[in-house]
Amino acid sequence: MNQLVDPKLLEILVCPLTKVPLRYDGEKQELLSDAAALAYPVRDGIPIMLIDEARKMDDSEIKK
Amino acid sequence: MHSDRPHIFDRALLIQRRAKALPALHNHDFLYNWTSDQLQDRLQDITRDFPVAVQLGEFSRPITDTAIVMGHTDSGNIIGDEEFLPFAKDSIDLLSSNLTLHTANDLPGALIQINYALKPDGLFLGAMFGGETLYELRDSLMQAELSLNGGASPRVYPFADKQQMGGLMQRAGFALPVVDSDIITVTYPDIKTLFADLRGMGQGNIITARRKGLTHPRLFDMAEEYYRTHYTDNDRRLNASFEIIFLTGWAPHESQQQPLRPGSADRSLADELGTKEMAIGDMVSP
Repeated sequence: MNQLVDPKLLEILVCPLTKVPLRYDGEKQELLSDAAALAYPVRDGIPIMLIDEARKMDDSEIKK
Repeated sequence: MHSDRPHIFDRALLIQRRAKALPALHNHDFLYNWTSDQLQDRLQDITRDFPVAVQLGEFSRPITDTAIVMGHTDSGNIIGDEEFLPFAKDSIDLLSSNLTLHTANDLPGALIQINYALKPDGLFLGAMFGGETLYELRDSLMQAELSLNGGASPRVYPFADKQQMGGLMQRAGFALPVVDSDIITVTYPDIKTLFADLRGMGQGNIITARRKGLTHPRLFDMAEEYYRTHYTDNDRRLNASFEIIFLTGWAPHESQQQPLRPGSADRSLADELGTKEMAIGDMVSP
């Protein structure tokens, strides 16, 4: 089973590029930045907050 | 995407070097342990609670038991980049950084982001390598390369010096900044062991302009010869200095001491000193 991100981390994490709050997708294990259209992966409960490792989001995924 | 930023350090390579060093770190972690102790001592002098603590640098003990650790390998709680901190504005009470900031391409930017993430009256405690670090090695390699290749390539990092850091802390908006430093000198039997220790710390060369490709076969022998002539102790071991700069600064808050407005004094200095105030008078006659 996938390890979830510690809620303590979710309280302080933002998108490193735009500093906007993130949406947590527990199913895909991703932290989503709508402003940057980037999805930061979570591996074993560890958020990977690197711009180079983030997945580019489709327009349809972005919540405005 | 960020081509306008200076690129002294190859940050992707840094992540690889750190991951490679992690399994055997316990053989090379003396500096990280020493700086952890120093930072913890400094923290103990402050009688305050820091509920949300974050540490940059996963190679050393967390500054508090509950500190969230951000690093470059999966041995921390978050993987992140000091140059793009993923922390919300005013979200952290205590942020410490242990031997990570010296590889930031944009050090002023990293400090500004640290200040941004701190709550008002939040504390930043940092330890970083300073300008005196490995000056013996830097000199020896340069002398050897000059005589073999007629020019030198960057093999030892350009470190910030203590004087510059005071200004940078102020520019980044920290209140009551304090910068001080200590030099630790370690001895090694030879250059090979020194290099192995640096790599073991995850501090191998990541300078973007580092010399790639073949190194002259005589380079390290010549550097070691020079090193042994100029920088040895009584046992002929090689001295290697590490300068650690300690940074302390607070996110501004109205409760902190503030300088008074010029001219707002209600007592004269002469009265305080018990002396008579004398006018300078016109030194120059019209």
